[in-house]
Amino acid sequence: MFGVEFEKRVDAIVGRYPEPKAALLPVLWELQRANGWISPPCAEWAAARLGVSPAHVHGAVTFYTMYKQRPTGRHHIQVCTTLSCMLRGSDELLEHLRRKLGIHEGQVTADGRFSLQRVECLGSCGTAPMFQLNDDYHENLTLSAVDALLDRLP
Amino acid sequence: MPKLTLDGREIDVQPGATILQAALSRGHEIPHFCWHPGLSIAGNCRICLVEVEKAPKLQIACQTQVQDGMVVRTASPRVEAARNAVMEFLLINHPLDCPICDQAGECRLQDNAVAHGTGISRYTEPKLALAKAVDIGEHVLLDQERCIQCSRCIRFCDEITGTSELAFFRRGERTVIGIWPGRRLDNPYSGNVVDICPVGALTLKEFRFQTRVWYLENTPSICAGCARGCNVLIATGRQRELMTTQGQQDDRIKRVVPRVNIEVNGHWMCDEGRLSFERLAVAPRLRQAESGGSAADYDEVVREAARALAAAAQAGRAGLLAGPRATCETLYAWRRLGSALGSLRGAVHAIERGADDELLLRRDKGANSRGAAWVLAPPTGEAGLLDAAARGEIDVLVVLGDALDPHDTPALPDAVRARVETLIYVGPFRDAAAEAARLRLPAAAWSEEDGSYVSFEDRVQLLRRARLAGGAARPGWRIAVDLALAAGVELPAWTQAADVLAAAAQDVRELDGLTEERIGLLGAPGGLAATAGA
Amino acid sequence: MEKILTRNIHKERSVSIDVYEAGGGYQALRKAVRSLTPDEVTDQVKKSGLRGRGGAGFPCGLKWSFMPKEKKKPHYLLCNADESEPGTFKDRLLMELDPHLVLEGCLASAYAIRADACYVYIRGEFVHAAGVLDRAVAEAYAKGYAGSNVLGSGWSCELVVHRGAGAYICGEETALMTSLEGERGYPRVKPPFPAQRGVWGCPTTINNVETLACVPSILERGPEWFAAIGPNERNSGPKLYCLSGHVKRPGVYEAAMGLPLGELIYDLGGGMLHADRPLKACIPGGSSVPVLAAAECDVALDFDSLVKAGSALGSAGIMVMDSSTCMVKALLRIAHFYAHESCGQCTPCREGTGWLERVLERIEGGSGRLEDIDLLKSVADNIEGNTICALGDAAAWPVQSFVKKFRDEFVAHVQAGKCTVLSHA
Repeated sequence: MFGVEFEKRVDAIVGRYPEPKAALLPVLWELQRANGWISPPCAEWAAARLGVSPAHVHGAVTFYTMYKQRPTGRHHIQVCTTLSCMLRGSDELLEHLRRKLGIHEGQVTADGRFSLQRVECLGSCGTAPMFQLNDDYHENLTLSAVDALLDRLP
Repeated sequence: MPKLTLDGREIDVQPGATILQAALSRGHEIPHFCWHPGLSIAGNCRICLVEVEKAPKLQIACQTQVQDGMVVRTASPRVEAARNAVMEFLLINHPLDCPICDQAGECRLQDNAVAHGTGISRYTEPKLALAKAVDIGEHVLLDQERCIQCSRCIRFCDEITGTSELAFFRRGERTVIGIWPGRRLDNPYSGNVVDICPVGALTLKEFRFQTRVWYLENTPSICAGCARGCNVLIATGRQRELMTTQGQQDDRIKRVVPRVNIEVNGHWMCDEGRLSFERLAVAPRLRQAESGGSAADYDEVVREAARALAAAAQAGRAGLLAGPRATCETLYAWRRLGSALGSLRGAVHAIERGADDELLLRRDKGANSRGAAWVLAPPTGEAGLLDAAARGEIDVLVVLGDALDPHDTPALPDAVRARVETLIYVGPFRDAAAEAARLRLPAAAWSEEDGSYVSFEDRVQLLRRARLAGGAARPGWRIAVDLALAAGVELPAWTQAADVLAAAAQDVRELDGLTEERIGLLGAPGGLAATAGA
Repeated sequence: MEKILTRNIHKERSVSIDVYEAGGGYQALRKAVRSLTPDEVTDQVKKSGLRGRGGAGFPCGLKWSFMPKEKKKPHYLLCNADESEPGTFKDRLLMELDPHLVLEGCLASAYAIRADACYVYIRGEFVHAAGVLDRAVAEAYAKGYAGSNVLGSGWSCELVVHRGAGAYICGEETALMTSLEGERGYPRVKPPFPAQRGVWGCPTTINNVETLACVPSILERGPEWFAAIGPNERNSGPKLYCLSGHVKRPGVYEAAMGLPLGELIYDLGGGMLHADRPLKACIPGGSSVPVLAAAECDVALDFDSLVKAGSALGSAGIMVMDSSTCMVKALLRIAHFYAHESCGQCTPCREGTGWLERVLERIEGGSGRLEDIDLLKSVADNIEGNTICALGDAAAWPVQSFVKKFRDEFVAHVQAGKCTVLSHA
């Protein structure tokens, strides 16, 4: 489904564990990187490759919040709102993003560029408020810094 | 042996036993949901928390191994407070479905709520709304709201059937039991998850809304579906509820569930066996004697049959084709009748389907094929007998119809029907063999007579009658006694199945020494090795 | 105090093995595998008084001594890099800026417990740190510090970085193991303990990143040196403190164990964020530990002192709240965290955390009732001590401590139908 290179990468990953099942989380990461999200065929591929049932895979996908069960925007914004970020303005930041993008958490903008998610503590409390945009942390945010950042993105 | 002081009483405990196992083995109930004796320990429901001296926190009884000298309290205020707490937590999102839930009356949540709940809910927030009556398999419905996330069903599908269809999805209080879309809960043992579900989250479609469990009477018996001989409980309507508005008796079988027998079927049974009782209703029942296609007086048909059979038996031209679900008692009585009349060539019909699996299923669908081999010790197989009949060597052929399923009664080839002068059918159904027979005598079906079966492992087990045969139908061994009387030959004055078994035990070496008392509810080993020296 | 854990982080290319080695790095590992037995390494760590820096504060050497001395099955060391306790961000600092300190700590510790492999379980969100670690692991292999026959010692140890995918509960050591095995991150009932039956049924030790990062310096400079840092041997060594919330200079600060909270906030941290908003409350050890009211904040940040003060050092995530903070809203935010993160396995936590959040939502939103305040305590009390793992307790303690110490504010909020604090801010 994903080609020889992909399968070789997966083989290498599986080889790092004493049992194939242990490679589930890293394999799901590879699938999400290749496909953008964990679609049903991705889950079935992982199940067959690792010798577990598709229900088992789905159980993991729905347990770990970072695996996407549907496509997100090209720029997926995950705003931390746990206590320390809350104390430094995360709620205002989130509200600003909702208004600026015109979406709520769990939605994607019509042009497919942005999606929004509220997340728990990202381990960046010293640089609050902050969010994670796809893989990258953006810290010590101000509303104008956020505007500048987002307006520059394709 | 480690000593445990349980609520002030010192008891000896099996090494390695948990507090819960030790308590339950003494009939001392500690409430539990997620623990099941046939599955691994989960420890998630927390209702079994007990006080263990020297431990600062309460400990779960299901997982804590007894150490010598351990002192445990299961009824202290601290324990009761914990139980109240767990019950309250379980009930906050649980739907008030009792009035429409099949589990009512055998629901652990109900029972423990009454025993260990406070009776008043302090929860005033909205309850989680989840999917209800979800069709997840051929026999099973799922109600996600009722589920208490004990994981018994998941562990069953992981550990017993190895099929892993069920899993937890999502996290925290949003956790639900689910199945992968497009897959079904379709392993051959799916019905067991309904038995083990402590609440009404998993229910059996075939039982849905049929009746309330407090209207059921349970009869311990043996499944007739295959040679494994799973121990079961046959649930029928109770006596006082038997009369419907038309004044008809309604003691139909409502469900069959497994009965625990560690030596035979553990805690489980297969779906085919569980639902085999439905086959009793697929063909019209034979409840009256018939001659030449019309109803006739039972005694008259017996006389006519006895005449024909006696003549043929004296000439060595009588045959008996028995099904492998006939009881040992029926088969022995016919063997005695045959010898009393002269000779009776016997053969046992074989029913084979599918394959043996690693769990319970057997290819041999004859629940008593072993017993039939011991009792009849037939010199030839079925083919041999039918060939002889087709060659014209058999004047009178008696066919014992299958006790469970009309489709499993042996089919008689045209050649046999053409050459045999008198075909006598003794069985419960109007099946193909019955239609071909001129003389028909109504026999009890499975669940309608006492008797014994021998499993493929040589275990002798007792069937108990759960309901009336109805009309003139009676056990096959009684019909043999009636025929003997009509033919003027001597058979002992047997009045019940136990009498016949006792007689058989004298005659059949593999049954030597076995009585109903010795066999009991869990069966006893039969066969030459087991009974040697008995 | 000289910087020990953070001595490298400001160096240029601090992540590179060349820079690390040039600063004396990997000498400790060399010493361990070439001139010490595994048990001797464990002894040194025991003598140092090193206690776990992940949250539980369990004596590290003692934990290692639970591992079998005889190898019957593979042994595993798991580095708990799942740092997700609100208020905590010290492990991230070490992994992103001094990965080799962490890896050397892992390898030396793996040697001590006779491990065949060390898996670094890093939370999925730390994508950047995982990348840094991956490159550092490759460098370590290339130099023979990991893999077969480490430094010619005959001992082999694989080193694998394993990313989580978003679950705070996977920082709980048995849930970490279950997750590593490819399952949902459910904690396990104990016994058996990891040292007897851990990951893949094998003896396993799990240690926090910072804990492991202390090991090289213990081996280099001796356990007595380490034990002498801080107020006493039970509260010893250098410590990373994470300061966040209403302060001028939030961040990670390294100091000797036992740093006074006041010094952290007012000296190192630059004082309160707004001059006219004094300190109101402080959670000293990550959101799972009881809150301290301002009057209780004259306390040393070490294990025993904080226990005596009715709280705990936990993950050393110090969250500072000033007078503008609505304690009801703060508690609601914390309760939401635990409800979101509860794995759902056991009854009290699964149902109780959701219940707590919903009652707090009602109170915060203005439809609270006075009896709700006692209900919160009762529900929290019913969770505490009755769960499979400590997340239940972690959800209960904030509720109990907030309600106890700020009861008047909760009552006022209920009676007014809204926050009575923010109107003054």
